Amino acid sequence: MKAPGGALRSALALTVLVVSVALSLPPARRMIEQSMVWHMVVQMPLLLGAGWLLARTVSSASTWRWTADWNRYGLTGLLAAQVILAYWMLPSAIDRAVVSPQADMLKVMTLLACGALLQQSFRRAPAVLQLFVMGSAVPMTVWLGAYFATTDRRLCNAYTLASQSEAGIGIAIWGLAVAAVWLAVALWQAAQPVSRGAPTTTNAGAD
Amino acid sequence: MAKSLPQDLEATAGDTGLFKTFTASVLALLFGLGGLLYATEGGRAYTTETLRRTAVDRAPQSIPDLQLVDDSGRHLGLHAMLAGDGRVRIVDFIYTRCQTVCTSLASVTQRLQADILAQQLERRVAVLSISFDPEADDPPALKAYADRLRMDRSAWQVVSLAKPADRRRLLDAFGIMVVPAPFGEFEHNAALHIVDASGRLVRIVDVEAPGEALAAALAVGR
Repeated sequence: MKAPGGALRSALALTVLVVSVALSLPPARRMIEQSMVWHMVVQMPLLLGAGWLLARTVSSASTWRWTADWNRYGLTGLLAAQVILAYWMLPSAIDRAVVSPQADMLKVMTLLACGALLQQSFRRAPAVLQLFVMGSAVPMTVWLGAYFATTDRRLCNAYTLASQSEAGIGIAIWGLAVAAVWLAVALWQAAQPVSRGAPTTTNAGAD
Repeated sequence: MAKSLPQDLEATAGDTGLFKTFTASVLALLFGLGGLLYATEGGRAYTTETLRRTAVDRAPQSIPDLQLVDDSGRHLGLHAMLAGDGRVRIVDFIYTRCQTVCTSLASVTQRLQADILAQQLERRVAVLSISFDPEADDPPALKAYADRLRMDRSAWQVVSLAKPADRRRLLDAFGIMVVPAPFGEFEHNAALHIVDASGRLVRIVDVEAPGEALAAALAVGR
């Protein structure tokens, strides 16, 4: 069943998983405790990526078939993912993850799940729903990043103002990068000849 | 994956799929929004600092009886000190080496001292600066700090912890987080804490609003 690059994909998924989770464990935990950049710009996107990649490595099997009825058009998954992301954009949630190992554990689990939900749901979503999701998530992320980067107010008690400004720039860049990748993939797919039902389609790895 | 994609879409045909997705989506939204409202005090508090202030507004919190030492080297218990003269304290947190935020915090407390003295309120209200750096802030360091800021002991006192091991308890009781910053400095959430004579933290006011802090302290003392 697996594509030729299957082993490579699994290896990549595992690597990202190990790195992102290790950042919550000693001794690497010190990095996310001291720097908001390591926490919000490195670890959190890596957790999302790990969830996405893990879901993708198992999606060639019929593992996810049973979820199809509960997640038509990817609607349920996209809503749940939005809520998870909204929670982890709260400065108070970030503080809690730094102070409490239980909260940090919750962060790791929910962000991995969020990545998997996005992978499973985004490709099922019709273009209009994809546009709606990106149209709300991208400006929200960029605005949040710009606010973190420019405000004089310390929003997280756990980090210095300097660390907050740097993280803000990183968050804004992430928002723009995700938008750019989505746009590129969408345009590239639109440029392909219509291949509905054709088994020899070439855009296998596009998601 | 290319093979399974169209199948996935076809496999969901039928009305049960729509109903299931609708139900699951509504549940995800309800639980999600409920959780977000709960975590933000109904959409009012997005930062730890606001949450801390709302929690104190809702229920005053008792502060443990910590052993303090003042700038003359005198040891005293926090509760005995508060109960001793029955004054309401406006508490702020400092470390005397501070060069950055604390200079503006210090000017705020200086203004509070001036206001208290000008309105002859020193029998009802006093400012109390507590150092969270007991290792460095011994009585001579406190004395130098008091002199530098022209502290009038009738309206403003500065103390440090007699036992450095109490530092964690002090910071946790008031909800202060101290973060190491470059050049050996610290950054911390600065605020004015109203503590009544029975050792309860009753209100937390923004450092930008010393007038409000004074009014709140007077309201407690009445």
